[in-house]
Amino acid sequence: MGPLAPNEIISENTNFLLAFFIGIAFGWVLESSGFSSSRKLAGIFYGYDTVVLKVFFTAAITAMLGLLFMSLFGWTDLDLVYVNPTYLTSAIAGGVVMGAGFIMGGFCPGTSFCGAAIGKIDAMVFIGGLFIGVYGFAFTYGWWEKLYLARYLGEPKISDKLGISDGLFGFLLILIALGMFVVAEWAEKKFPREEY
Amino acid sequence: MKQLKLLALIIIPLGIIIAAVPADRVNQSRLTPHELLQEAGAGVQFISPDIVADMLVQKDPSLRLIDVRTPEEFEDYSMSGAINIPLSNLLSDEYTDILNQDAYMNVFYSNGSVYANQAWMITRQLGYENNFVLEGGLNYWFGNILSPEVPSQTSPDEEFARYDFRKSAAAALGGGGVISTDDAPQAPKAVKPPVTAKAKKKPSGGC
Repeated sequence: MGPLAPNEIISENTNFLLAFFIGIAFGWVLESSGFSSSRKLAGIFYGYDTVVLKVFFTAAITAMLGLLFMSLFGWTDLDLVYVNPTYLTSAIAGGVVMGAGFIMGGFCPGTSFCGAAIGKIDAMVFIGGLFIGVYGFAFTYGWWEKLYLARYLGEPKISDKLGISDGLFGFLLILIALGMFVVAEWAEKKFPREEY
Repeated sequence: MKQLKLLALIIIPLGIIIAAVPADRVNQSRLTPHELLQEAGAGVQFISPDIVADMLVQKDPSLRLIDVRTPEEFEDYSMSGAINIPLSNLLSDEYTDILNQDAYMNVFYSNGSVYANQAWMITRQLGYENNFVLEGGLNYWFGNILSPEVPSQTSPDEEFARYDFRKSAAAALGGGGVISTDDAPQAPKAVKPPVTAKAKKKPSGGC
């Protein structure tokens, strides 16, 4: 049956409409979990607040389990689920740039809009920077093109590389996530901050 | 810490279940060799020529005949309205939409039923449904549907009924009587249906 849009069960426009509502719900959950605060977000880098790690990793695990079970029940065809192609060099370079921006600005792209929505000026400035970056990259694309397209790996899966089943890898990832959550809780106790 | 324990309590059992499921069951779009053997053994893929003839006469729009012989053989003769997907090109991307769908009843045919059966096996193994094989192939089709034999006087009534049906079907389908190579029924040249490749949608997203 699924995925809905590639199988043309719903149209592209319906897909956008659903994305619109899911986006609103996503933003609301982000805001109510405190993701509009740059101090809370930056806490992950200093250890006093690890809610970013916990929320996003839980989301990833939930989505992963959901997809695997839906595939198991024959509800969705994982072959049709879009996977971002991997360009290793630009993935690493982009990760470094994004990480640096995250530490300096205290937001990631999604949460900056969340912050701006409740009127935070630092978030608006961050969005300004984001657009400067986007346009800057677009206009100077010729300079970066080689780096951008370097070391193309297709759509690799870690489970394939390790030669284990998707399910087993999923289980291992759950154990890794829980281990990270324990470390995160320990870090919050070790580097507490009264007010932020 | 309490929340973490609760989370662990939920996701660890789910993880164990998904890890314990054999890998080839997680992706259900493909059949296991055992399932395939069972289906092939039961002969569920075969569709009787009489049914196909009836659908052709009725101009049933859900019937789609697929000739799996070579393009040369297809040019020489093809069944009415058939399209040509040579067996060697079966897995070509442009045909995926034709073979993997749930709107038409695809019926593979070849001269006998060997090639058509191979096409069915391959598509079935990929998990495609609604594909069938014309029982007996073109040989049976020519010999029995387009030029049916008069049953002997002592035959049961069903034989005569079938003969009558086949005779009228043959007339409607341009067969009938003795088929010589010169005036073999020339089906109208089949037009390849326009293939619109279903492009994978490219959603993009991120944090």
